[in-house]
Amino acid sequence: MALLASTKTNRPTAETLWIGIGIVVAYGVVPLAGSDYLLDAVLTPFLVLALAAVGLNVLTGYAGQVSLGSAAFLAVGAYAAYNLHLRVPGLPLLVDVVLAGGIAAAIGIVFGLPSLRLRGFYLAVSTLAAQFFVQWALTKFGWFSNDNPSGVIDAPVLRIGSVSFATAAERYVFSLTIVVVLTLLTLRLLRSQSGRNFIAVRDHEIAAKVIGVPLLRTKLLAFGISSFLIGVAGVLWAFAYLRTVEPAGFNLDRSFQILFIIIIGGLASLRGSFIGAAFIVVFPLLLSRIGAAVLGRVFDSGVLEMSQHIVIGALIIVFLIAEPRGLIALWDRAWSALRPARRPAIPT
Amino acid sequence: MFDYQFLIEVLIGGLLSGVMYSLVAIGFVLIYKTSGVLNFAQGAMLLFAALTFVSLVERGTPFAAALAATLAIMIVLGIAVERTVLRPLVNQPPITLFMATLGLSYVIEGAAQLLWGTQVHGLDIGISDTPFDVAGVLISRLDLFAAAVAGGLVALFALFFRYTRTGLSFRAVADDQFAALAVGLRLPRVWGAVWAVAGIVALVGGLSWGARLGVQFSLSLVVLKALPVLVLGGFDSIAGAIVGGLLVGAIEKLAEVYVGPFFGGGIEVWAAYVVALGFLLIRPSGLFGQKLVERV
Amino acid sequence: MSGIATGAGVLRLEEEPPDEQIHGSTRERDNATERRTERAAQTLANPALGLAKISLTFGGVAALRDVDLEVAQGEIRAVIGPNGAGKSSLLNIVSGLYRPTRGQVQFGEHSFDQVPTARLAAHGVARTFQNLALFKGLSVLDNVQMGLAHRMRAGFLRQIMGAPLARRIEEENRTAAKEVIGFLHLDDVHDRFAGTLPYGVQKRVELARALVARPKLLLLDEPFAGVTFAEKQELSQHVRNARDSLGATIVLIEHDIGVVMGLSDRVAVLDYGRKIADGTPDQVRADPAVIDAYLGVAHEDATELAV
Repeated sequence: MALLASTKTNRPTAETLWIGIGIVVAYGVVPLAGSDYLLDAVLTPFLVLALAAVGLNVLTGYAGQVSLGSAAFLAVGAYAAYNLHLRVPGLPLLVDVVLAGGIAAAIGIVFGLPSLRLRGFYLAVSTLAAQFFVQWALTKFGWFSNDNPSGVIDAPVLRIGSVSFATAAERYVFSLTIVVVLTLLTLRLLRSQSGRNFIAVRDHEIAAKVIGVPLLRTKLLAFGISSFLIGVAGVLWAFAYLRTVEPAGFNLDRSFQILFIIIIGGLASLRGSFIGAAFIVVFPLLLSRIGAAVLGRVFDSGVLEMSQHIVIGALIIVFLIAEPRGLIALWDRAWSALRPARRPAIPT
Repeated sequence: MFDYQFLIEVLIGGLLSGVMYSLVAIGFVLIYKTSGVLNFAQGAMLLFAALTFVSLVERGTPFAAALAATLAIMIVLGIAVERTVLRPLVNQPPITLFMATLGLSYVIEGAAQLLWGTQVHGLDIGISDTPFDVAGVLISRLDLFAAAVAGGLVALFALFFRYTRTGLSFRAVADDQFAALAVGLRLPRVWGAVWAVAGIVALVGGLSWGARLGVQFSLSLVVLKALPVLVLGGFDSIAGAIVGGLLVGAIEKLAEVYVGPFFGGGIEVWAAYVVALGFLLIRPSGLFGQKLVERV
Repeated sequence: MSGIATGAGVLRLEEEPPDEQIHGSTRERDNATERRTERAAQTLANPALGLAKISLTFGGVAALRDVDLEVAQGEIRAVIGPNGAGKSSLLNIVSGLYRPTRGQVQFGEHSFDQVPTARLAAHGVARTFQNLALFKGLSVLDNVQMGLAHRMRAGFLRQIMGAPLARRIEEENRTAAKEVIGFLHLDDVHDRFAGTLPYGVQKRVELARALVARPKLLLLDEPFAGVTFAEKQELSQHVRNARDSLGATIVLIEHDIGVVMGLSDRVAVLDYGRKIADGTPDQVRADPAVIDAYLGVAHEDATELAV
């Protein structure tokens, strides 16, 4: 909290208050009150996807570099942490996590190098190379998965010192802590000169260059930070959420899913990443309940998956057309409508 | 002793499958050239076309009628997409349009499979897949047929662009949107027509690919094969799409056969991307793409 | 840097000596007319900006042909010309966005075949753009502070952690940005997103972003295009202030010949990529070649130009 309090911003302290309340509820109430199903199947994946979305948002929402290869960095994080744990015994878990993020960042920077010359979807296409290459390498080389024939890895029990995080609630708390800390650090980065450089490069690259923003360093920083965050999300995905993963789980659809989270939630908004992740996690559950209730047996898993595709795809289009700033903009509007007295007068 | 005959066989096989990539890439180029949209949903449209056709045939519709019906459906789909998705997004940054087509691909894929089911269908277009022998080199009939179809399609487009009013207006719009607008071309109408044509290209591509792979979900993934083709050839050049397709086809097969063994195989999935990426760094606008001078 | 700028920042700044010591700047503040004649005659060994035999071709089409230009320290120098005369290309060469086919660009004692754009700010050069180039997603204050981005020497980790160095530079930059915002009367809108402001105000924000680094050389690309008459008046006052109180040498590109005549010390005229005239506003106004370029061949009524 000291970190946040010392940020010099002109945002109202109400925001800090809300974050504080959120943290208290997330730590104090949820782990006690939530069922294992809620924690395991809803909240933990929500947190992990939100962190991945925060990572992609740094790159795409703030720095304006579109990536279709997020899942590759999830995979790198997961497999790096697995191998570090396996091959460097005695390394504390948190060091594992940070190193795994670092490895993802390094690979992200390598695949970010073309961004100096490529823009828009040329760059997007080049990030697909990361997607396919990483997935292939993890399947092909048995070393990564300790010679499991299909590349499957089983996560170890999370343990920091003598404290282990084994139950659903414990794994949730573990994920929550990492996600909150990293999100707050990201927030600070975005409000620093480096964060402004991201937006400058996104909004007008040439002007940024003329002003003296170091383009290559700024873009690579965005790729590095983004891949770091996504890599750590990958560790959580493998260690805290699924606990058994295979390369096929980090396919292009996963990359798209993360991209969709930030489009639906809100580009260039960290809160949007969380709302978007919540939506992506909750929506299929809702859809299957509603579908089953309305259509009964016809609504099998195949139909569910297809209708999910249709609705998500349609939502992407609708948001891009009607509210490019995503759910978070709707949220803010609803919020200020609820308490019109507090709405600031529009300056001239 | 190096086996040249085998090399030639691999090369021809690669070039022929490259033609198939070109078939998909042409659909992209048409839309990109005229409206600046990189249509990620082209693969989904291909799947939709093939699935619709096969399902109609399986339900007892005669071949020709099914073809005509699918054609009509694809044209309507193309126009509908332009109306509902692209038109409201006119003047948005290209990357927004691209993301919209990403959403669109989910919608079309989902709809196709919801309508027609997810099972794999065989597609028999009356060409046997037995290879025949030309001077000791084995060539797939199906590939050759697809190559012929692609060649015919390109020739047809060339004629269409040169001799028809619509074709001329396509070229005008591609050349300079504002000028085209100024001389009274109705851009939305042209765009609608382009999307309809892209629908037709998707049908041709869908049938060729469907005959080869069977009609199933993975058909929509051929879009991923077309992207490096576009990067190599340039997003806005039909000639580029053809040459790029041939190159990617050849590179993939040669890499798989001669380089793959060193890595345990399977490098087909990314070889084309890596080559395209390397190429991009040298020539960011592709082989035939227009080089843009940045204006400030 | 003395004092924190508030609403009264303008006055303060005008009295403040410029960051960089421009030689002879006090002497040059005397009389405008005198100064003009003096400068026109001057050929300086160390011009603020020198262009030597600049040519630029785009695929066989010559955009600029053998253009020479000399800009003295502390002068306001206009480059005018009809559309397509090559003015913007010239500015893009000076800022390193284009590489000239032939010729050299000189800042002070440094000479370049292609100006390194990334080092432009470090050389004390700033520019604005013809079509606004603000960062739409940043507030006005942040936009202006971006003009000092090159001064942030602390790495990103120190920025995240709020290390003393990072905080000190951040404070300095913010203070400087606020000062310039006061100077250009932008206080009311400092927290608005730049993209939401009226065109004329955005132009001023861009000027502020260029001025915040106290550039030795300021390049303005059509600063008066598309703004109202009142805004033109105000903007030219700001441009004059930038020279008089901040000590910047100014090169401005303009399509509209009228505005620049009263503002500039010397004017160069481009037409079809060639420099066809160069001199004081009065000399240029009377030049038959200029009249031809602007009004078509052999126009009788030259008074139209004397706006």
